Amino acid sequence: MDRALRRRLEARFGDRLTGPVRQRHDETEIRVGPGDVPDTLRTLHDDPSFRFEFLSDLCGVDTGLVMQVVYHLWSETTTDWLRVIADGLSRDDPRVPSITSLWKGAEWMEREAYDMFGITFEGNRDLRRIYMPPDYTSFPLRKDFFLADDAARSPGAGVRHQEQTHTPRNAPPGRAIRVAKEA
Amino acid sequence: MTTSHEGPRLRQQSQDDPRVMLDIDAGAFEPVPPYPPRTEREAEFYTLGDGEMFLNMGPQHPSTHGVLRIVLKLNGEQVVDLDPVLGYLHRGVEKISENSDYHHIVNQLDPLEYVSALFNEWAYVMAGEKLLDLQVPRRAEYIRVLSSELLRISSHCLFMGWFALDLGGLTPVLWSFIERDEIVEMLGALTGARMLFNYFRFGGVNGDLNHEFMSRLGSWMSRAASHVEANTGLLNENEIFVRRSRGLGVVDRETALRMCMTGPNLRATGVPFDVRRAHPYSVYPELDFDIPTRSEGDSLARYLLRVDEIRQSLRIIDQCLHQMPDGPVMAKIPRKITPRPGRAYAAVESPRGQYAIYMMSDGTDQPFRLRIHDPSFLHLQSVGLLMPGNLVADTMAVMASLDPVMGGVDK
Repeated sequence: MDRALRRRLEARFGDRLTGPVRQRHDETEIRVGPGDVPDTLRTLHDDPSFRFEFLSDLCGVDTGLVMQVVYHLWSETTTDWLRVIADGLSRDDPRVPSITSLWKGAEWMEREAYDMFGITFEGNRDLRRIYMPPDYTSFPLRKDFFLADDAARSPGAGVRHQEQTHTPRNAPPGRAIRVAKEA
Repeated sequence: MTTSHEGPRLRQQSQDDPRVMLDIDAGAFEPVPPYPPRTEREAEFYTLGDGEMFLNMGPQHPSTHGVLRIVLKLNGEQVVDLDPVLGYLHRGVEKISENSDYHHIVNQLDPLEYVSALFNEWAYVMAGEKLLDLQVPRRAEYIRVLSSELLRISSHCLFMGWFALDLGGLTPVLWSFIERDEIVEMLGALTGARMLFNYFRFGGVNGDLNHEFMSRLGSWMSRAASHVEANTGLLNENEIFVRRSRGLGVVDRETALRMCMTGPNLRATGVPFDVRRAHPYSVYPELDFDIPTRSEGDSLARYLLRVDEIRQSLRIIDQCLHQMPDGPVMAKIPRKITPRPGRAYAAVESPRGQYAIYMMSDGTDQPFRLRIHDPSFLHLQSVGLLMPGNLVADTMAVMASLDPVMGGVDK
């Protein structure tokens, strides 16, 4: 746990953070609004006191209430992984600016997040499905994805799938979709 | 762009109802997709310039290292641009994991990157151990390092063979399989399976070192170094191989960082980034080894770097055997795992680069979200950047030098 990193982040991004800086084990977590993502990441990348040169990972998350995009960064200036969470994307139309201008390699990871969650990365030149077939219409990793329903309208109709234990929005009443719990 | 094919038709029996005969398009893998372009980039790619043509490579092409389709845009024999089409091996492991018990997921992760399956397990159990605040016994950590470094050697041996095969040499692949097979049999004696190990557990490993493993390892270690030198001598001093791979698929330091490349492919451009040193985990801080780097960034550098890594891995294994502590190989953990709500990220240095798992728990016995980050995915992406200007025959050579495994790419 790098306490100095926490102080530096609070000093640099104080008003931009939408939640407290969290630390656990070797991870430091900050949250920003989706609009602030490119500025925040560019500062983290360029600022000589941060130098987060490596984008370790980019992924989407559906918490059941909102969508998130999670970036993991690495820098030689700290011993922690830095997790930047773009928080509060609406589940109906999740949008976040692309960071392909900063890391070209994020392009496919953004395509994957689009494919699985339907998150639109504004500015990504190649935002099309990457794993699922082009005529596919659902977003499989969303929490309201109902497997049986999807299988019925997919080209592989009639194929038996793994039983779904977490029921989604259009399931029988009384059972809600799975919602994330924060520590 | 056309929206329907006038090509040959094929009559085929329906999979759903054997009485039905379907009249399907015989050219199922036409390079140009039968729908309007979805993005700016797709429109640009599927528009032919003067004297250009499309060539479909795959999805059953033998040298794509899995089921991958690459649409090549050619000008004569020169590659102008390419568009990899993924998803033929997509199994939806991230989705399956959200409905699986924490213990079952280890088994699900094995077939992802099947060449070096222990690293998938390792990243996953490390993330879980962070969520559970588990302390892993030191003997278990040493066994993890020992078995993983063995697998790294086996994976790099396989790389040397396949790479030479894609450049047209048949002998090295036969030689490299000698080492690969011995290591895989050895790990089979340790874990019970040759490739899909299911060996690491939250809090330790599934079984202690046994006599058969140790005796096999001992006799192999006594000749491993000389065997590796003999194998590499086949290629390092082969003028055809060296001249063919030198200057092929060059990537510079800035591009590699911008493309999020990791592992040997990044270190071949001169960046000494290795998760084992950059973000130390397990008992690697106690072990003495070097991070080899090279500055050329071409296919030959990537090959030579992996040879250097084999030598370093042998050093690590030697130290593990000398420093192996006594004690238990499993921490005490409950049978039903319910971590407190939280998030964890863990990365390991796999033979291909940084393999990472991001896990979210909501307090139940199934993860809320499991993100699998595979380095092959990003290396395959950068093929599009390395290829333009090269010849068709070099496409597979460049791809092989980046060493992607399609099982890991497609998840």
